[in-house]
Amino acid sequence: MNKIKKFVSNLLKDYFSEQDKKELITILTTSLEEKVEDLVEQGTPVDKAIEQSINEFGSADDVLDAFPKKDVDHKQKLIMTRKHQFWYAVLGYILIVGLAVFFNLTFLAFFHNVYWFIVVAIGMVFWPGTMFFHYREAKK
Amino acid sequence: MINSDIIRGNVDAIILKLLMEQDMYGYELANVIKTRTKDKFSIKEATLYSAVTRLESRELISSYIGEKTRGGKRRYYRITSFGKAYYAEIIKDWQFMKEIMVAIIGSDIG
Repeated sequence: MNKIKKFVSNLLKDYFSEQDKKELITILTTSLEEKVEDLVEQGTPVDKAIEQSINEFGSADDVLDAFPKKDVDHKQKLIMTRKHQFWYAVLGYILIVGLAVFFNLTFLAFFHNVYWFIVVAIGMVFWPGTMFFHYREAKK
Repeated sequence: MINSDIIRGNVDAIILKLLMEQDMYGYELANVIKTRTKDKFSIKEATLYSAVTRLESRELISSYIGEKTRGGKRRYYRITSFGKAYYAEIIKDWQFMKEIMVAIIGSDIG
């Protein structure tokens, strides 16, 4: 039965806010498990019943079909934008701090014996940090 | 096969109507829809169960855990009085829609 929950969680991983998702996963999993039990009672082997239920269930798009399109689109767009912004910030952070480390440890004689890149690394945290916060707010 | 988009837009009405007849669990709803439409239309369970969740969050239906006649437990859904009122509204809209469509394309339907 764990397989079903995994399947449903995976199906919805990019959609809905955390709380809605949790609720939806619980209900969808319950309904699918009930179907498996019904099929097993009718004589289908468990493995086959699970497989059949998963195959017949439908896609993430079918789940989204059940919700007013406007709500889903708007929310979804915001979450995706925030997600992209967050990852952009993480990459930017790695690039800048990477450069600082490189300069610090290689050819810059300036403060050669001081690990000044740590200051840059801490200072730049604000960027991915802020973006992560925005992303988390959008998912709520 | 009928364009399922049209029916999908009316999933709420279908679920509420079936629950007015008797309490049912998710897969039972899917089965009844399939049987009653003589297999012409089987709604994706992903859509059906999600619609059920949405109706429950709007308090148009409520759920309880009930025993099945044989064996396991099932999460049954029942329509609330709010749901019944909402269903009456849907029927009114349908009635209105039907009158309009009959007035305009009625002669072609026969």
